[in-house]
Amino acid sequence: MQKLFKAAAVAVISSLALAGCAPTTDPKTVVLVTHDSFVISDELIQEFETTSGYELKLVKAGDTGSMTNKLILTKDQPIGDAVFGIDNTLLGLAEENAITDGELSPIDFGDVCFNYDIDWFAAKKLPVPKNVRELTESKYRGLTVVSHPATSSSGMAFLATTIALFGEDGYLNYWAKLKNNGLKVVAGWEDAYFTEFSGSSGKGKYPIVLSYSSSPSAEVRDNGKSQTASIRTDCYRQTEFAGVLSGAKNPVAARALVEFFKSQSFQAALPANMYVYPIDSSTALPEAWTKFAPAALTLVGEELDVAGNRKDWLKAWSALFE
Amino acid sequence: MSKRLAGWSIPLIFLGVLFFWPLANILNRGFAGDWALHLVDLRDWQITWFTVWQALVSTAITLVLAVPSAYILYRKSFPGQRLVRSLITIPFMLPTIVVATGFTIFRDAANLWSDAIVWIIAAHVFLNYALAVRTIGSYWMSLDLQTEEAAALSGAGRLRTVWSISLPQLQPALISATASTFLYCTASYGLILVLGGGQVDSLETEIAAAANTLLDLPKASALALIQTMLSVVAFGVSQTGGRSNIGIELGDHDGEVKRVDRKDWPAFLITAAVVVFLVAAPMIQIFWKAATEGAGLVQNFANLTSLGTRNVLNISVVDAGLNSLRNMFISATIALVIGVTVSYLLAQPTKSRSQVLVNRVLDVMFLLPLGISTVVLGFGYLVTFGGYPLPLRETWLIVPLIQSVMAVPLVVRLIYPALAALDRNHIEAAATAGANRWQSFWLIELPMVRFSLYTAAAFAALVSLGEFGAASLLAYGDQATLPTVLYSLISKPGGDNYGMAMAASTFIIVLTFAVVFVISRENRPEPKPKRNGLA
Repeated sequence: MQKLFKAAAVAVISSLALAGCAPTTDPKTVVLVTHDSFVISDELIQEFETTSGYELKLVKAGDTGSMTNKLILTKDQPIGDAVFGIDNTLLGLAEENAITDGELSPIDFGDVCFNYDIDWFAAKKLPVPKNVRELTESKYRGLTVVSHPATSSSGMAFLATTIALFGEDGYLNYWAKLKNNGLKVVAGWEDAYFTEFSGSSGKGKYPIVLSYSSSPSAEVRDNGKSQTASIRTDCYRQTEFAGVLSGAKNPVAARALVEFFKSQSFQAALPANMYVYPIDSSTALPEAWTKFAPAALTLVGEELDVAGNRKDWLKAWSALFE
Repeated sequence: MSKRLAGWSIPLIFLGVLFFWPLANILNRGFAGDWALHLVDLRDWQITWFTVWQALVSTAITLVLAVPSAYILYRKSFPGQRLVRSLITIPFMLPTIVVATGFTIFRDAANLWSDAIVWIIAAHVFLNYALAVRTIGSYWMSLDLQTEEAAALSGAGRLRTVWSISLPQLQPALISATASTFLYCTASYGLILVLGGGQVDSLETEIAAAANTLLDLPKASALALIQTMLSVVAFGVSQTGGRSNIGIELGDHDGEVKRVDRKDWPAFLITAAVVVFLVAAPMIQIFWKAATEGAGLVQNFANLTSLGTRNVLNISVVDAGLNSLRNMFISATIALVIGVTVSYLLAQPTKSRSQVLVNRVLDVMFLLPLGISTVVLGFGYLVTFGGYPLPLRETWLIVPLIQSVMAVPLVVRLIYPALAALDRNHIEAAATAGANRWQSFWLIELPMVRFSLYTAAAFAALVSLGEFGAASLLAYGDQATLPTVLYSLISKPGGDNYGMAMAASTFIIVLTFAVVFVISRENRPEPKPKRNGLA
C-alpha cells in the first residue's frame, strides 16, 4: 500500500513538472490546424517537406464550425501556424475576429446539390425532380432525406439556399411543405448519404438525398455508369480557405504551406482526396468527374451572411421542426 | 490548526488552478455579454423544463425498478446472485457513448417508438439502475430485520411489510439514490447527443451547441448557471434528507439473509425482467452486431487498427485505446491522491464549531466539479491553458488533468464516509503506542478502508475511460480517446465504420466487466470464523 502511494505521488509530481516546462517549438516544424475531413496523401506531405524543408504537423480540431470557434477563442495563443478549411459561411466571422495574418486564400470548392438514385426512379417509372421546388410535390412524398442545418454544414447550406430562393418571409413556408411531404431530417451528412440514401452503400429507403454535385463520381458501377446523378440547379457553393494564423510561431513556414495548397500537385489531388473541386480551373479533373460529377450549373445564396444570421435562422427553423 | 492548513494547501491549489481558475475565465467571457437575456428567453426555459422532466421520469422509473431488485439481490440470497450483481453494475460503469450505441440498435431493430425521448429515458434507467440498487440494497442489508420479521409473523403480507415497514426505514438510502440518479440524468450529454440524433435539446447539449457551433458564450454561460443551480438543489436534497455516509459499495458483503422463497415471486419477476430485457439485451445486441455487421467479426476487430472508411478517424481505435489507458492511469492516480488527502482532512475529529462549518464548506467545494457542465469546463481549459504561465494545452496531460478534477468528488464520496466511520479507539491506541499521525494514517487507517479505496480507484479509472464532454473538446488530433473515436464512427457511418464501432464497444464492455468483477471479488470480506472452531 505504502509503495503504491509513493509511486503515485512520484507520478503526480513528475507529471506536473513535465507540464510546467513550456514545450519548445522547433522552427523547422509547421503546425496546420484543420477540420476532421481533411485528407492529405503521404506523397504530398513528403513533397511539401522536401521542397520547403519544414516538417508538417496536423492538428485536426473538430468539424469546420468547432475548428473556427477554437481558433477564435485561442487567437491570442494560437494552436498552430496555418489553417485550412474555413469556408465561406464562416469567413466573415474569421475576418471579424482577425484570426489570420492577412487574407485567407481560396483553395477548393464543393457544390451542395440534391442527388437522386437513377435506378430507383427508372424502376418506379417516375420522372426525376428537376429542381428543389418540385420536392414539395405529392409524387415525391416520403422520398427525400436531408441533414440537420444545426449539426451539418451541408444542411446549413441548403437552409441558406431556401432563403436565397424564397426570401426571408417565404422559406419557412417551403420547409413546412417539405415537412408535410414526408421529409426526413437526420443529424449528419454521413447518416443521410450512407445510411438513408438508396443509391449508395447503405441501400436505404430514400432515393433523393442532400449531398454534393461531386458525389455521383463515387457511385460508378461495373457497367461504367454512375447509379446517381445531381440536380445541378440552385446549388450552394462552399469554398474552403487557407491562411496564416495571427500570432503564428512560424509564419514563414505557414506562408510556404498556404502556397503549397495552391500548387499544381496539391490542387490536382483534391478531387481524389477530399471530393472537392480545385480552385485553380486549369487543373485537370479525373475522368469519372468530368463524366458524372461536373460542378453545378446555377448557384444561389453566395451573397448571404450565413455566419451573422445562422442563430436566428436556426431558431426559426427549429421552431418549425420540433 | 496550522498543520491542518498546510495539509489543505495541496488540494486547494489543485482545485483552484484546475477548476476555479478556468471556470472563472470562461464564465467571465460569457457574463461580459448579454447573458441575462437568456435567463428570460422562453426557449431556454423550455429546454430546462425538458431536462428536468426527463430526469424526473428517468429517476422515478429507476427507483420503482430498483426497490424490488435491491430486495431480491441484497435482502435475499439465491445461487448466482454475485454474478447478477456484477452484471447489473456494468451499465453504470460503461462509457455513455457505448450505452447510447446499444440503444440505437434497439431502436432501429424494434422500429417501435421513433420518439427519441423514450429511448433516452430507457438508457438513463439502464445506466442508473445499478447505482440505485446498490445504494438501496447495501443500506437495506445493514438494517435490523427484526421489525420486518415480526410483521411477517403477525400475518402481514410481504408487499405490505415492505410498503409500511421497510420503505420508511429505507428513506435515507432512497433519497440518496434519487438525488444521484437525478444528477446524472440532468448532466447527461453524449447519450442525448447520440440517441437524439442531434435533434433533442437538453441543457448540456444546448450548452455544447451554443459554445461549439454558435460561439455564443453568453448563452452557454447562462445555461451553465441554470444547470449548476439544478445540481446544487440535488446536492442539497441528498445532503439534508439523505445521510452523507451512504456509499456506493462495489463490494459484496453477504450478510445473513434468507433464501428466496415462493412469496417473493413479484420482486423476483421484476428483477429478472429488468436484467434480461433492460440490462443484458442492449449489450447482447452490440455483441451480435459486432459479429454480423459489415465485414464480419474478424474483420471488424481487425479494422480497429485502421482509420475507418474515408479515414474518418485521426488515429486508429487501438491507438485511441492506448491514449485512454494512459489517461486513465494518470487521472485515477491524481484523483486518488487528492481525494484521499481531502477525505483524511475532512475526517479529522474536530470540536470547534467554526471548524465544522469550514469543513462543510470545503466538502461542498470539492463536490462542485460534479455539478458543472464538462463542456463549459473544457472551454475554460481551452482559453486558460494556452500559454504563460501554464501551457497545458500543448501537452497531452490536459485531458487526464481535467478528468481527474471530475473524479475527485467521487473519490471523496467513497473514502470520506469510510474514514469517518472508523473506530477512533484503534487510531488512538496506535498514537499511544508511539505512532505519529502519518504512520497511523498509512499503516492503520488506510488499510482499514482498503475496500473503499479499491472501489474509488475503479470509479476514478472508469470516469476517465468513459468521459466524453471534455475530451471531445480537448482531445483532438492524435490525442483522441476511445469515446471520441467511437462517436466519430457512430456519427459517420458508411463502409466499415459501423462494424468497427460495434467491435470497439464489445471490447469496452468486456473490459468493464472484468474490472467490476475483479474489484467485487477483491472486496469480499474475510470469511467470519464459525462459532464452533472445529466445524
